[in-house]
Formats: sequence, C-alpha cells, structure tokens
Amino acid sequence: MKIGIPRALLYYYYYPLWKTFFETLGCEVIISGKTTIDLLDKGIKASVSDICVPIKILNGHVLELLESDVDYIFLPRMMSIRKGEFFCPKFMGLPDMVRHSLPGAKDKILFPNISSLSDDISDDKLYYDMGQRLGVTDKNIKESLKEGRKVWNEFRRFSKEDYTALEAMDYVLEGKLPEKQVEDINITIGLMGYVYDVYDDLVSMGIVDRLRKMGVKVITFEMMDEVMLDRELDSMKKRLFWTFSNKLLAAGYKFLKDESIDGIIHVTAFGCGPDSLIGKLMEIDSEKLGKPFMTIRVDEHTGENHLQTRIEAFVDMIYRKKSKYIKEA
Amino acid sequence: MKVSFPYMGTTVIYKKLLELLGHEVIEPPEPTQRTIDLGVKYSPEFACFPLKVVLGSYIEALEIGAETLVTSGGHGPCRAGFYGETHKKILENMGYDVDIIVFDGYKRDIMGTIKKVLRVKNGKPWRTVWKAIKTVYAMAKALDGIEKRIGQMRAYEIHRGDCTKAWQKIKKSFDDVKTIEDVERIEKESHILLDEIALRDVPDSDRLRIGIVGEIYVVMEQSINLRIEETLGSLGAEVERSQYISEWIDFNLKPGASAKEHELYILKKGEKYIQEIIGGHAKQTVGHIVDYAERGFDGVVHLMPFACLPELVSQSIIPTISKDYNIPVITLPIDEQTGAANVLTRLEAFMDLIRNNKKTKTA
Ligand code: SF4
Ligand code: SF4
Repeated sequence: MKIGIPRALLYYYYYPLWKTFFETLGCEVIISGKTTIDLLDKGIKASVSDICVPIKILNGHVLELLESDVDYIFLPRMMSIRKGEFFCPKFMGLPDMVRHSLPGAKDKILFPNISSLSDDISDDKLYYDMGQRLGVTDKNIKESLKEGRKVWNEFRRFSKEDYTALEAMDYVLEGKLPEKQVEDINITIGLMGYVYDVYDDLVSMGIVDRLRKMGVKVITFEMMDEVMLDRELDSMKKRLFWTFSNKLLAAGYKFLKDESIDGIIHVTAFGCGPDSLIGKLMEIDSEKLGKPFMTIRVDEHTGENHLQTRIEAFVDMIYRKKSKYIKEA
Repeated sequence: MKVSFPYMGTTVIYKKLLELLGHEVIEPPEPTQRTIDLGVKYSPEFACFPLKVVLGSYIEALEIGAETLVTSGGHGPCRAGFYGETHKKILENMGYDVDIIVFDGYKRDIMGTIKKVLRVKNGKPWRTVWKAIKTVYAMAKALDGIEKRIGQMRAYEIHRGDCTKAWQKIKKSFDDVKTIEDVERIEKESHILLDEIALRDVPDSDRLRIGIVGEIYVVMEQSINLRIEETLGSLGAEVERSQYISEWIDFNLKPGASAKEHELYILKKGEKYIQEIIGGHAKQTVGHIVDYAERGFDGVVHLMPFACLPELVSQSIIPTISKDYNIPVITLPIDEQTGAANVLTRLEAFMDLIRNNKKTKTA
C-alpha cells in the first residue's frame, strides 16, 4: 500500500515518526517533491484567496500526491499537544477543508485525530481507527509506533544539539552527518518561524544557510527544550491559544532575555494571523529591551535578492553594534 | 471605577448588567469609520478584523474616561483568550493605564472567574447580583424576539425605514429597565408598536428568506457589517441570523444541558463537513447553512471578518455544501476596505439569482 505524505506543514516536525511508522507497518511512503513555483501556483488556484501561504502550499502538495498513484494521503487532524492549548484553527480543520474542497480527495485522506498531552504524539490509541481502515491490527499499530517513537526521539535529541530539522532528519533517516559549521562564529541570531516556513525552500529561501554563510550561528525554537520553552510562557498571564505560536513566542521571549543572542529575525509567510500578533508583541518588547528585531514577511512575489539584502543589512548592523561595544568596553 | 465594554450588537444589555451592579458605566460609542481607522492603525496587520474594531472601540471608550474594560471571550473562542492580553499590551504601549477583565468560559478557570465576578460584583449582595443577571437575561431574550420579528417584517414595510426607527426606539425604552416586570411591560409595548407598522401583503409563495451566518461579531454588529439586515430587508428579503445574544448566553454561560440544545443541534448538522470544533464559529457556520437549506430558506449570506482563521476553513468548504444542498451562498469578507456600494451591487445580483431560482422552482 502506498501512503502519500505532503512535504508541508508538520512534515518538518513529525516526518521521522510517520515515515518509520508506516514503513514498519509495511506500507510504502511517498512524499511530495520540494515546493516549487509551479506547485505553489496550483495550490493558490485551489485555495480561497485570503488563506495563508503555508496552507496554499499544503494544497499544492496534496494535489501533487493526488495525481500520483498513492492509495491514501496522510493528513492528521492536529488538535492539541498540550492541555488547554490547541493548534491554529486551520490545522484543526485541515482534513475537512481538503476533503471538501480538493477534487478527488474526499475518500483518500487518512486523518487520525491527534490530541495528546505532549509533543510526543505516538500514543497508539490515536491511530487505532486509522489502522482499521488500513486493515491492520492494533498490535501492528502499537509495534510500528514504538519504532517510530524511537526514531522521532532521536530526531528531537539531535535537533537540540543545534542542528536544523532538515539536518536532524537526514541524520536519523539516512545516517547522514551534517557538514561541520564554520568555526569563526561571531554572532548568534534567534530565528523565529514555524518549521514549515523556515525549512520550506520557497518560503524562506534557505535562510538558515544564508545566515550561516555570513558567520552567524542560528538558533530556532525546535532546537530548544520543550519544557524550558513552556516555563518561559508562564510569565504571561494568558498564553496564545495555538501551540506552535506559543513555542515561537516563548523562543522569542527567551531570545530577548538571553545575552548570548545578538538579534532576532522573525520569518513569517503572508497571511498568518497568529504571527501577526506575535510580531506585534515582539516589536513592543524588543524595543523596550533594545534588542535588534526584524520581521521578514514572505509572499508569492518576494524575490531572493530582497531577502538577501535585508538579512545582510541586519547582520551588518549587529556586527557594527557589537564592535562598537567591544571598542567602548 | 468607570467601566466600559466593547461594542457588539445590542449593547444595552451589557450596559444594563453593569449598571444594575452599581457601576458607573461609560457606554462606548457605536463604531464609526473613525473607530475602525483607529483600530486598524494600532493593530497588527493580519489580526482578524474584530480584534481591530474592538481595539478601536476601547480607545474611544478610554478617550471619554473609561478606566476598566469588561469583556467576554465570546468574540470567537479561537482568539478570545488572547484578545485581552494583546489589547492590553497595545493600549499600554500607547500610554493608557487600563484594566481589562476578560470573562471566558467559567469551566476553564473557575477560581479566576470567581475572582473576576467578585470585582465586577462591586460589593453588592449576591441577591442583587442574581436579580441583575435574571433581569438582563430576560431582557436579552425579549430583545432577540423583537429583533427576529423585525428581521421578517422589514421586507414588507410600506414606508421604508419604519422598522429600523421602531427598533431604535425600542432599544432606548429598554434603557429604563430596573426589574423583570419592566422587561415584560416594555416587551409588550414594543410588540404593540410593531403591530402598528404598515406592511404589504405578500403571498407565502413569494416570500424570500435569507439566513445570515458567520463569525459572531460581524454577524451581530450592524455598524460593522454595513447594516446587512437592513439592506437585505430593503431588497425584499426576510432575514434570520445564525446568532442572537441570548442564544450565545445559553450556550456559553448558562449552566445546564437544556440551554445548549439548539447549539448542539446546529453543531450536529455541521458534523458532515467540519467534524470538530475548530475555534470561532466555523462549525456552526456550516451547520447553519445545512439547517437553513433544510428549512427551505432561499439563500444564505456568509459574513466573515478579514483574516478570521476558522472562517477561512468554512469558506473553503462552502461551495461544496452549496452544491450538495442546492442553496445559493454568498461569502462577504468584511474589513476596513469593504465598500457599501460594492456590497450592495453584489447583494442585488445575489437577490436576482435567488428570485430566478424561485421562479424556475415554482414554475
Ligand atoms: S499558524 Fe499561521 S501560517 Fe500556520 S496555518 Fe495558522 S495561519 Fe497559517
Ligand atoms: S473567530 Fe475569527 S474573528 Fe473571531 S476571534 Fe477568531 S479569528 Fe478573530
């Protein structure tokens, strides 16, 4: 049986789990290709116009998989991975949206309801219903998830050693070790952004590599410990409702306080409501604390040059600030 | 403590509750273009439209002396919890020293709710509080009944504007309410007032009925949705909204299962298209469309605020529902740029479509 997984949204966070799980079950896993302009165009045509870019991209990936010969497309309904918090409504309604708006999708989508208490979403109970649809036993599900969990934990552990999600994935799935980073690191930048923005080539155009080439060390939220991030938010009276937005904001607050972080960049894709709120809060607080903060908002038309120029200017500014500080000291 | 609240729908209800508890109430002005402009100016760009308008409304209330803002999370559960915090931060950054008390579903945070209630309770004995709540609830029910009736009558008034004028007058007269008996008396008087309005006689077969669905704020707040009910009325359609304030109270605040029946029924109807509650009123939106279709309505207007997360999901699904149930649905996104003229043109075309449908159906 062929299971398609779109290379979009939480692919960048859970793929090691899902891939191992399905393969241990005996399925063949097909992932859609990298996001291209062409794919995005198809996604745009299939989506309502005001929806955020990441969802348009997702639609493009699902369409690509629908054209291939997969038996099912795996698109879990991400509800919650923390008590009292939820995913962005678009995640919660994603399978509904796809099934009822993309032609031919209706009977092909596998969408277990994912509701768990932590980031680890490998609880077998969540997948039993899906197992029935696939004709596999609960025992099978359980054992395959166990394998998946192992790989995913390894993936997370590796991420937290300052490797990007892509590097960590390559490592746990292919055994490929990441290239060594440049030695003379001068500044560190906290990069705020959802995994599906930061690691999608079309959205952020390889921003991590670009920064690294400039001698910058990059820290993202998924390199940080979940429990620590969680504690970070306790200072707020109210959290955001959406889990991943919370993670971003927590990382942002941590970056603001952390002396070793020289500046913060927030990458956001056009049309994201939650990001807009996060951005505003960061804007207010970074100004208060005097830490450089920049937002890069990417849409269908943002060119590479534009992005490159802006991050160069930002990095330059931090360099200057730093050397001035060293001179004065 | 000078208390105010965000403007939404029949505000006389919030005002009354706070007044009966002995607060000095600053009534926020009805939103105007200025309110919207202020809100848009100080809000993050991709925040949903209601968040912006409510911010504008707060600023205007603060300008005329409000010190504490009381609000419920009900503008859309998806963002509700965070609304208050974001507003507070933005207002503080603008230099306002303000206290915002947000009431959410009490189940989520019982202690917190009790503390907030004690503050709003204002040292009044519980008996007074209970009486105030009962009075205001009766008032909400009465006003909703009247408003529903007006929604039907407006299509047939002989003198354009009679119904709206009566409605304004009725809302004012409810301002004098002190007890439940007052509510009952004024309700009766109001219906008598409506009885006097001259209406055209239209045979049942020619009546056009339109349901309005969508996110609660834009559905309920006429100053934001370009007075959609009046517009549709003047185009000859009876309207019914998916949300009335008393229903909201029933579902969100009133304990007990029977109060929730209607909403659960609607949610059930939406199940086929949106399985889970995904925040806001998306599931209700699709449920109401199915319900209106089954009840033989002729069309549905779907109102969605710009950048509303859950309604973008329902918007994506609506074409399928419209086809499955063979009912025309028009989606109107609402934001600061929505022009009245443009909306009118679209609604006129929509009404033509519906009339034609009806003709071919009955022919
Ligand atoms: S969090 Fe933002 S980018 Fe992600 S799905 Fe929601 S609106 Fe889109
Ligand atoms: S339901 Fe929509 S409009 Fe209401 S708070 Fe949520 S996002 Fe905003």
